[in-house]
Amino acid sequence: MVTELNESNFDSFVESNKIAIIDCWAPWCGPCRRMGPIVEELSGDLAGKAGVAKLNTDENQGIAIRFNINAIPTLLVFKDQVLVDSLVGLRPKEDIIEYVNRL
Amino acid sequence: METDVLIIGCGPAGLQAAIHASRRKCSVLVVGKGRNSSIAGTHLDNYFGTGVTEGDAILEEGRRQAEATGAVFREENVISSAAVDGGFSFKLESGEEVVSKSVVIATGVSRTKLGIPGEKDLYGKGVSYCAICDCNFYRGRRVVIVGNESEAAVSAEMMTNYASETSWVAWDITANASLVERAEAAGVTMYSSKPDRVEGDGKVERLVLKDGTVIPTDGVFIELGAKSAADIAMDLGVMPEMDDSIKVGRDCSTEVPGVYACGDVTGKPWQVAKAVGEGCIAGLSAAEHAGCGQ
Repeated sequence: MVTELNESNFDSFVESNKIAIIDCWAPWCGPCRRMGPIVEELSGDLAGKAGVAKLNTDENQGIAIRFNINAIPTLLVFKDQVLVDSLVGLRPKEDIIEYVNRL
Repeated sequence: METDVLIIGCGPAGLQAAIHASRRKCSVLVVGKGRNSSIAGTHLDNYFGTGVTEGDAILEEGRRQAEATGAVFREENVISSAAVDGGFSFKLESGEEVVSKSVVIATGVSRTKLGIPGEKDLYGKGVSYCAICDCNFYRGRRVVIVGNESEAAVSAEMMTNYASETSWVAWDITANASLVERAEAAGVTMYSSKPDRVEGDGKVERLVLKDGTVIPTDGVFIELGAKSAADIAMDLGVMPEMDDSIKVGRDCSTEVPGVYACGDVTGKPWQVAKAVGEGCIAGLSAAEHAGCGQ
């Protein structure tokens, strides 16, 4: 199971992973539901390389506003605790792995 | 109404599925708009036995054949779908509810992007293609919905529950009249010129129309065409492929029993010959699942 983030553990997750990939989603979003299984697999495939977690933007609107999220699914990408990218939209697992390998 | 087989889409794949399911003595309802078929208004020169022919002529004759076998047509799109006990339920643009034992998705592939300047660069920065996904980020902000069909009308009405101002740009409106009325009654401001460009510095600030009208806005939601096959599939429990196509077996079945797909929606080649072949198989498979005639 991929870690679910909220206001209380978001910052500590970003701090404890050199690279953190956070899947921002909501239950009624069709593309997000398609992203779900991809993110589950990514957390295994990227183990040791990047921390992968999920953020329900419906329940955590403060964090969504903090990071200017306007569309989901969005993958927030942090490196050394700095937001380096917001990848918007559904994308294949292989593209995400290739992206992380280039970071 | 209740039907054995519901066919969504009335291009070559849907029509051929309708003909074969009807000939198995199933009650068949076909929903969709023939003019939206990818062969409407085109010349065909690579379809077996027809020489050079008109797409419209094939669609017209195909519909006549399907009607002759008993299929019933509704010139409207599906706006919601769900799997229910022992079958599937759908709501059409007119509000009519349909329950079926099996369903054939033959919607073809649709264009989702406008292709105007600013659209690609500002995607995720105010440009969105999914109102239901992203409406929550626009509480108290200004939104423009872009699109001519009922899907845009439904999105515009929904958006009034979130946005401070909702505008709707429709330049060739084909949405159901009662859905348009509901959007207007909810306070949506209508514009009738085609969008020209999205502008903004790092985020959407305005949508400019061809007639020069400038609409200041925080979000531009592009809702072209009918509900997509990917959305319909997901609502029925079928996970689409990454390119929005629907994976089927040799019997045109999907991962959900009773849900079949055929034609362009199952992937390339996007050819009439392939659509018709798959339509035949999907129609027969859907009839068998519905349990009517052998």
